[in-house]
Formats: sequence, structure tokens, C-alpha cells
Amino acid sequence: MKIFFIVFSKEIMSFMRSLALVSVVLYAFTVDIYIAGAGMQIKPRNVIIGYVDYSGGGLSKKILSHFHQPAFITPKPFLSRQKLSQAIFNKEVLVGFIFNSDFEKAYRKGQNTNLDVLIDATAASQSLTTLAYLQNIIFNFEKLKIPLKIKSHKLFNQNADNHSFMALTELLSVITLLIVILTAIVFVKEKEDGTWDIMLLMPVNPKMVILAKSTSQVLIVTVGVILSLGFVLFPAFNTPMNGSFWNFILLTLLYGFSSAGIGLFVAAVSKDVMQVAQFSIVIMMPLIFLSGAWTPIYAMNPIFQNLSLFSPLRYYIEGSESIFYRGTSFVDLLPYFGGVTLLGIVLYLYGFTKIGKLF
Amino acid sequence: MKLNVIKAYMKKEFKELYRTKLIIMVYLMPSMILILFGFGIRMDVSHARVQIIDNDKSKISQMLSSKFEHTKYFNATISNISENSALKKIKQAKTDAVIIIPSSFEKNLLKGAKSEIGVFVDAAFPTRGTTIETYIQGTILSLVQEISKEKGLSQKGTILINNRNLFNQAMRDEDAIVPGLIGLVLLVAPAILTALLIVKEKEKGTIFNFYASSISKGEFLLAKLLPVFILHSLNIFILFLWAVYLFDVPFRGSFFLYWIASELYILISLSFGLLVSVIAKKQIVAVVLTIMVTIIPGFLYSGIIMPISSMDGASQIEAHMFSVMYYNHIIYDTFLIGQGFSSTKILFYLAILLFYFFTLFTAGKFLLKKEMR
Amino acid sequence: MADLEIRNVSVKYKKLTAVSDISFVANSGEIIGFIGADGAGKSSLMHAIAGIIRLSGEIQYRGYTYKSPQESEKIKSQISFMPQGIGLVLYGTLSVSEHLDFFADIRDIKKDTKFLEYKKRLLHMSGLTDFTNRLAQNLSGGMMQKLSLICALLHRPKLLILDEPTTGVDPLSRLELWDILDDIRQKEGTIILVSTAYMQEAAKMDRILLFDEGEIIAQGTNKELLESVRNFTYAKMDKPPDDTISFDKKTYSLKSLSIQHKEPNLEALFFVNALKKNKTLPAIKIQERQSQEKIPQIVMRAEGITKRFGSFVANDHINITLKSGEILGLLGANGAGKTTFIKMLLGLYSIDEGKLMLLDKAIKNSNDRINLKSKIGYVSQHFALYNDLSVRENLMYFANMHKIPIDAALNRIKKYSYELGFDEYMDKFPKELPLGVNQRFSIAAALLHEPVVLFLDEPTSGVDTLARAQFWQILHKLKTKWGISILITTHYMSEAEYCDRVVLLKLGKKIVDDSVENLYKLHPNAKSFEDIFLTYFKGER
Repeated sequence: MKIFFIVFSKEIMSFMRSLALVSVVLYAFTVDIYIAGAGMQIKPRNVIIGYVDYSGGGLSKKILSHFHQPAFITPKPFLSRQKLSQAIFNKEVLVGFIFNSDFEKAYRKGQNTNLDVLIDATAASQSLTTLAYLQNIIFNFEKLKIPLKIKSHKLFNQNADNHSFMALTELLSVITLLIVILTAIVFVKEKEDGTWDIMLLMPVNPKMVILAKSTSQVLIVTVGVILSLGFVLFPAFNTPMNGSFWNFILLTLLYGFSSAGIGLFVAAVSKDVMQVAQFSIVIMMPLIFLSGAWTPIYAMNPIFQNLSLFSPLRYYIEGSESIFYRGTSFVDLLPYFGGVTLLGIVLYLYGFTKIGKLF
Repeated sequence: MKLNVIKAYMKKEFKELYRTKLIIMVYLMPSMILILFGFGIRMDVSHARVQIIDNDKSKISQMLSSKFEHTKYFNATISNISENSALKKIKQAKTDAVIIIPSSFEKNLLKGAKSEIGVFVDAAFPTRGTTIETYIQGTILSLVQEISKEKGLSQKGTILINNRNLFNQAMRDEDAIVPGLIGLVLLVAPAILTALLIVKEKEKGTIFNFYASSISKGEFLLAKLLPVFILHSLNIFILFLWAVYLFDVPFRGSFFLYWIASELYILISLSFGLLVSVIAKKQIVAVVLTIMVTIIPGFLYSGIIMPISSMDGASQIEAHMFSVMYYNHIIYDTFLIGQGFSSTKILFYLAILLFYFFTLFTAGKFLLKKEMR
Repeated sequence: MADLEIRNVSVKYKKLTAVSDISFVANSGEIIGFIGADGAGKSSLMHAIAGIIRLSGEIQYRGYTYKSPQESEKIKSQISFMPQGIGLVLYGTLSVSEHLDFFADIRDIKKDTKFLEYKKRLLHMSGLTDFTNRLAQNLSGGMMQKLSLICALLHRPKLLILDEPTTGVDPLSRLELWDILDDIRQKEGTIILVSTAYMQEAAKMDRILLFDEGEIIAQGTNKELLESVRNFTYAKMDKPPDDTISFDKKTYSLKSLSIQHKEPNLEALFFVNALKKNKTLPAIKIQERQSQEKIPQIVMRAEGITKRFGSFVANDHINITLKSGEILGLLGANGAGKTTFIKMLLGLYSIDEGKLMLLDKAIKNSNDRINLKSKIGYVSQHFALYNDLSVRENLMYFANMHKIPIDAALNRIKKYSYELGFDEYMDKFPKELPLGVNQRFSIAAALLHEPVVLFLDEPTSGVDTLARAQFWQILHKLKTKWGISILITTHYMSEAEYCDRVVLLKLGKKIVDDSVENLYKLHPNAKSFEDIFLTYFKGER
């Protein structure tokens, strides 16, 4: 056990010694997450609308008045349909309305009337949501006689605050990336520097060495996570913490070991840092893909849905979201803990034996 | 320019890439990212799980339920569980939304009395939450519109939205995402490869060969850049083939523009990697720094997730700092729009890309020191 | 005006002054030797002249003056510089012949028949002719050195700067190397600046500069320098008084002694300088072993040990025994299989064939070794240390890994740092230190846990004379006090004489296994052990 602490503290010291490395890791946990959180906004926001009004009437103005901040920028008039298209081609305008000359007349007469809408669909998600918004605005605008009220609640995140969510997702990706790369490099460094032989000749249990080395990196990252929560997520983005903070830390630690297991595997198959960089990306990309971070699992192809059961990141992301936003109790978190732990054990043991063979 | 010297260094770099088997990664990584994310990222919400609690069980409430059942946007389940247990289901992430239709909903509606439909959406993933909410409202409203027409409650006409989705008629996610991914891939993969090329020599000591010989800084950088440039140039074509044949993304613009812009863009990514390599003293620092500084902006400012035009002030400025924004504008044009060289904006952006390459390469040359520290 | 003039050159690293205010001149065809203690400033001055570090003062080369690396660019095509460190400038995944092509190309050499002949000669000289297809990462340390060297010679530079080019190179190759250097300076009029830790080599130079603490403290021809120390060199005394140093059958003293003088060699410069500056290393006191060990009669027995790399047989059925309390020297040319043999003993390479007994235990797999690890000490050729830990931390780490109680560890570290003379470097990082100093504390690291047997792979390569003298005293004291057994490889033939027995390996086979005295008897004409060594290897190429 003493050996564990010796190796452990040596690795921590090595890490602290490199000012550049410490700064880069700090950057990853602060600035990087801040940029991701501050910059990402997926719901329509500042959408620029252009319009051509051939109807010349009040109805068009009334409709347009519903498009306002923060989702939309005050619509911009264009003289002709052609000018409007041109602006959309240059990505200066995202959505264009064309009010035809008989637009208002037909409406007043009780006939159906067409509102032509041009949408830049290269940004499909924004366009779709804008279209849905538009539809709802028009429904509302028609002033239904039926006094129906839709009482809508956005649970867990009242303002649909995207910033804190993106920052959290980014944090989870940073955790994965850093643990895998740092763990792998701790071992591969020794191969490159020639200290590997010396390590082999130490009269200590190699298992302890592997355990201590990987634990040290998990700890470094865990400290980074806490800093990130304290300095970025909570103060800058008001991320809610509806569940237990300690549940999250425990989940992070467990997840840390499953990532470290991947790191050990990468270390076993790489000869130098260059290979570590490439292998890690190639291995991590499918994991991130299968985690549901970008696409909800149920919307995936069934094959991928089944495969995603093997991505520890999936349990980690779902579990973390539940802790932060849904405030899920520990009992209901058990599936996530179970998934992360089970995969953690499997991955860590696999990486452990794989690198252990080199000892 | 000593061409022989550059050639010698290039030959060496090629051999090293080949013998360390990194060449496999040069071709595996970009295609893998493109294919995985091309299939993986879905911005559109479909099959959202909706729990409908129908306390009315009237004709209208059933009409409403069936409207939810017959759309690709929702996977609706109708059950009679209590409001609390439905909310618990959201908490456990077993459903995305709950719709509660009150009892005597139909009666009130027809009487013109006030009635209220409760909607609860899981907004833990806010974007999806908002979208689901909008869709649910839209579905309910359209039903109400139908009913009011039927019952003759409205005298005015109806506004029909006649939308034309420019460039992407079918609103396919692939068309919107895959070209943007090319911009991400060609930023990340070349940069990570070159980021280690110089710092590796610094750590090993072979950098002395550069210090002590008469090869100039520019020649050295060029010799490091060219082999990877040549190898990655092939990826321009490979990625094109994936996009057009695997993902069925239309290609409406000029292939020549696509090619030339991509080559230029790769040069920028490579020069950026080299710049990191010049600055960093340790390989690990170079790796982590490059990944951090390329992947995030690569996604953020690629236009995949949100159009640059709708970003806030600060993000707007940041977006303009990264090459990916300019490149992706051109790439989306070549795939989906097809203005080509006739657009002055594209020409302007090409000039900016050229400027970026020139600046990054010069910065690398300036910061590279041909002496020990 | 001389062809190369160094005027008032100083080199500073951050706050540390490595070289201060040095001036000297050199002319075409001259070989100037740099000698001096580790960390005396030889390398820094070489970096300055090679134009790869900032300097103050100025350097004039054939009428062109430069004061900075930028200004030196113009003459770099005429310079060749080989930095210190084994295989430092080589690319692991390139083969020998690819290296030659690469260096020829970056020097823009025309590949005419004249060049091809020259290349062939260099290859032959370095003994690498049969290894042209081998990747650099698979070469032995000495072969790496030779390859780096011939790469530096390829473009027939006019100014050749070599920083310890022969460290780790076997005696025969060193002779051949000097032939080459002699040849190009006569034919091409090259100025050669070379530092070395082998004093026999220094004797061959036209002029020798002795460095100490960043300054040149003596210079002259071999003869002049020897003259300056003749008065202080005596035959070895059995019980030398204080303020003297005894090494290699000689005793050095500033005060006149009552015994007869002896012919000095250049190593005397180091001892005399140390005496003058009162910087003698402390006497070595080895305490009784803190842990009592029962040492078997035969510490190591290897029978028919064989190692193959593909079709190449690195060790061919080697039988060697190491008895308790014995110092066994393992000698041979570069690539003869010495390192391979030691690595098999340690379990770093698997054994393809043969039987191995270590400390009475038959070794069949790695499990058999677990309990032996704490009894073995090892210093590798590429002395591997953690670069991000200071010397002190490195040693503490090693001590902790060997579960040495903290008090004992601190004591031993203090003692060795003092006795091996690296106490002033304790808080520095390995990368900042000269090769020789790093080597010294690798040795200390191997001794910390009081091993029963030591496997030392070129522990003294690149270490300065004073430290080597100290090191051998330690080994001898360890042997007598602790009954420790030592297997050591070295390219200093004078060191072979301190061994009880030597084994010569040649192309993976054992050709000699005998005591030093017996070998002298077999070769009555030999003046030194180097002569004996060369008789076994000369004329083979």
C-alpha cells in the first residue's frame, strides 16, 4: 500500500512540474467549457428574417410584429423577391416571408390565403424550429374563439437554458478525453524515455504501479471537474444542482476508472505519444457517438441502440443530467451507477491485464 | 530554396509516418469521424416519447391523442396513470413529455368555457425540450383550428404557410450536417498529426540536425508540412465520395472550388498544428492543446449546430476568428447552393483563407527558433 | 589571422553562467581537444561555436564574424556538429543507409562516385557495413554513436565540432575513428574541435584545452601539459597521506613525497587541479551492510544462453558464471552482445535457449524473479531517469520503491551524492545536467538498496576522470565489505584491469574468459590491457 502512495505522489508531482501541462488542463476545464457553454445556443435566437411585402397592408405588419427578440431580430424589408433570395444565398438572412398582393384581401374574405416562406435549409434544425414557431405564431394570431389554454411547463430547466447544458456536456467530454489521454501518456512516456525498464526492475508489485499511476490521473481530472463546477458551471451558467453533489462525484470517479481502462489499453498498444493521440481519438469517437450526447438513443438505428448499451459515457451522461437537472434520487440513479460500474470493471480489468502483460 | 534538402526531409517524414503505421490513422480517422457523426447527429426531434393522460375520454380528446399517435415526431402512449407517477417517469428519463387532458375537456371546449391542457416537458436537454414543446403546441393548435373550422366558429380565412426549403428540399439532416463535418474533420485530423512533428524532435534531440545544418526555418517548416499535406489531400476526395455516395448529399456547385478551398483549408490546419508544435515543449501538451483548440471551435463555428448569423456578439466575433467558418460557407455552397466563383463573398472568403494560411505559417516561422533554449 | 578565432565568448543559461570570457584560436588542420570535469562548460562552448545558442563575445571563422545564432547561418554549411548523448540525432525508424542518404541530402551533397567511395569507407570504418538495413532503434549504443559520427562527417565539413563522439565506442572503433579524423584534417584542412573523456585520445590532439568552471585553466600540447604535472605525480603509495589522491597505480600530491616520481598521463591534470583547488572528493567510507544477506557461492550461472532477433543471433550459447565477491568485466566491440546478455539476466529480454541460475534459483519465468529484484542493482547504458523529477526526488523515489526506511534513505543519498560528487546538483533536473553527472547518480540509484549483485552496463561512459576514480574505489570497497558481485561492461580498457576476471564477447560468442594476470602472461608484449584487447579484434574487418 505504501508503494501505491509513492507512485501516486510521484505522478502527481510530475504533473504539477509541467507548468504548460497544468495550464492546458486548466484551460480545458475552464475556458474551453466556458466557450462551449457561452457560444452554443441551439434554439432559434437572433434569427434574421427578411420580407417582401406586396400586399401593402396591415395584416402583414401585424404578423411581423410577432417576431421579436430574443428569438428573432426585427424583420428586414426587401424590395423584391430576387433581392431577398440573394440575401439568403449569402447567408445574411435565414428566413424570408413573401406577402403576395392578394394576401390580405383573400384573408378578409374568409378564403384561404398563402404566405410564402423561403428557408435556408442548410441549417436544418434552426429552420425546422423557426417554421414550427411561425406556425404557432400564426395559429395564435388567428385569435381562436375557443378559449383553450395550453399550460406548458418546462421541467428541470425552466428557461430552457442551453448554456449550462452545453457546458455540462462539454465538461463530460473533456473528462473522457483527458482521462484516456493522460493515463495512456503516463505509461507511454516511460516507454519513450526508457524508464520502462527501470520500472520493471523495481521490487514492487506491478499491479500496484498500474493502479497508482491510473488512479493519480483519475484524481487529477476529478479535481479539474470540481474546479470547473466551482468556477465555471455554477457561477457563470447558474447550472442547477437538483440532485446530490456527492452522487455526481462518485459517478465521476467510477466513470473515471472505466476511461482509465481505455487509457491503459491505448497505452498497451501505442509506442509513442503520437500513436496515443491518434488511437485515443479513434477509440473515443464511437464512444461519444454511442453515448447519446448528440442524438437521443431512442432516435438511433436499433443496432446502434443496442451497441450504445456498451458505452460507459451513455450511463455517465444520462446519470449526470439526471443528477443536475432532474434531481433524481439515488435509488433511481442505480441503473446509471450499475452501468458505469459494470462497464468500468470490465474495461479497467481489460486494460489492466493488457498493460500488465508488458510487465 | 534548397529543394533537395526539403525533399530529403520529406522523404524522412514519409518513411516515419509509414513505419510507425500512422499512415493508417491519416486515412482512418477522417472517414471514421465523418461516417459516425454523419449517421450519429440528428438535430430534428423524432420519436419523442410522449405520455398522454386522457381524463376526458371524449371524441375530441381521442382525436387529439390520435393526432399524436400518427406523426413521426412522437411516440405516444395513452394511459391512465396518475399525474405524479407520470412526472416520476420524466424524472427517471423514461418519457420526454407528459400531456394531461382534463376531464370534461370536450364539454368545456364546445361550451366556450375555459379549459386547460397541461403539458410537461423534460427540458434537461433544453434544445430538445423546447423543440418538443413547440411541436406539441403546434399539434394541439392545429387540431383546435380544424375543430373551429368544422364548427364554423371562425369567420376569417386561414393563412396557409407555403414554405420552400431552399437548398435542402427534404430538410434532410445529412445534407445539413455532412458538409459541415468535412470542415471539422479537415481541421482536426491534419492539425493533430502536425502538432507533434516538431515537438517530438525537440523531446528526442533530433532537432539538433535542424539547428546545426544550413536548412532555413521556412524550408524546415515546409518540409514538415508538405508530406502530411500530400497525404491529407487524398482525404479531400475520399470525404467527397462518402458525402455524395454514402450520404446522398447533392453536389450542385463547382468541384474545382471544393478542391481548391479544401487544399487551402488543409494548409491552414497543418500550419496551425505546426504552430502548436513550435510553441509546445512537451508532446502531451501539444496533443491536449490541439484537441481542445480544434474540436470545440470546429463544432461550434462550423454552422452545423447554429448559423453564425444568429450568434451573440462575442461568439460572432470568435466565429470570425476561426478558419472553419469561412471554409464551411464555401463548402455548403458547393454542395447545396452552387453559386461558385460568381459570388463575391466566396471569392472574399477564399482570400481570407489564403491570408490565414500565410499568417499562421509566418507566425510559425517567426516563433521557431534555430537555437537551444 | 587564424582561421578560427574565439574572442571573449560567454554563454549564460538563465542565471547560470556556463562559459565565461573564453578566447582561443585554431588553424586549418588542427585538432583541438576539450577536456575537463563534467559540467565545466565544454558543451556550452561547442554549442556557441556551432551557432545554436546565444552568446556574448564574438567568433570569427575564416574572416566571417558572428555573434549570434542568426549570424552564424551563413557558415553552417561548412560546420558539422555532433551533440553529446547516445543516438540523440538519429531517427528510430530509419535504417543506417537511410540515415546516410538523409544527411547527405540535407547537406546537399552530390552523389558521385567519389562520394560513394567515401561513404563506403566511413561505413567500413564504423563497422556498420553489415548493418546498413538495420533500423536505428535496434542498434546498440556504440553503433548509434558511430552512425551519428559518420553522419556528421559525410559532407566533409571544414569545421567539425564533436561533443564526446567516442563515449560508448569500443577501443578498436576509436582507433579507426581517429584515423579518419586525422585523414580529413590533412586532406581537407578541417579544424576539429573535440571533447573526450578518454585521455589516450586527448594525447593525440594538437592542442588541449583544460576546462574548469567555465574557464580554460590550462592549454598546450600533450607534452607541455604533462610537463606541468610531472612534479606532482608519484608511484602509488600503500598508505598515502591526506591531501593526496591515488588512482591507477599512481599517487598525486602537491607536497613533495619521499617516493619516486612516475611518468604522468593526462588524467593527472584532473587530479592535480582538484588538489590545487582543494576540491578532492571525500574518502569513501562504506559502512557495514544494514541488511544481512546470505550470499551463495555462485551468484549467477548462465549455460548456453542464446538470444535471436529474427535471423540475427545476438548471443550464441554463452556460458558465464559469476562467483560471490567477484568483479567480472564483460568486454567486446559495439554490437558484440554485451547489453543483450545483461538484459536477459535482468529479464528485460526473454531467453530463447539455455539455462539461467540467479542466486541459487533457476529462472524459468518472470515469477521466479519477483523476490530477486530487491537483490539486484542495475545501471543501464541509456541511464534512465525521470526527467520531471529533480535528482533528489529521483533518488528518493528509487529508495521508496525499494522500501528503504526514510532515515536510512536520506543518509545514503547524502553519502553517495557527496562521495560521487554530485551534491551541488541535487535540486536540478536530469535534462539540465551533463551526461557524466547523470551517470553518477544512476550509479547511486543502483546502490541505494544495498544489492547483492550489480549489473552495470557501461556505467562510466562519459564520466570524468575524477568521478571514475571515485566510482571504482566504491566498487572495490563494496566488494570487500559487502562481498557483492559485480558484472560490468566498459570501454575504458584501463578499467578492465580492476576486474578480477574478464570475458570477451565477439559477434555474440564468448572468446576469452580469464583473469587479467593470466592474460598479461599470455601476451607478454602487451604494454596495457588495450593492447591485449586489440590483438583479439584487430585485422578482422
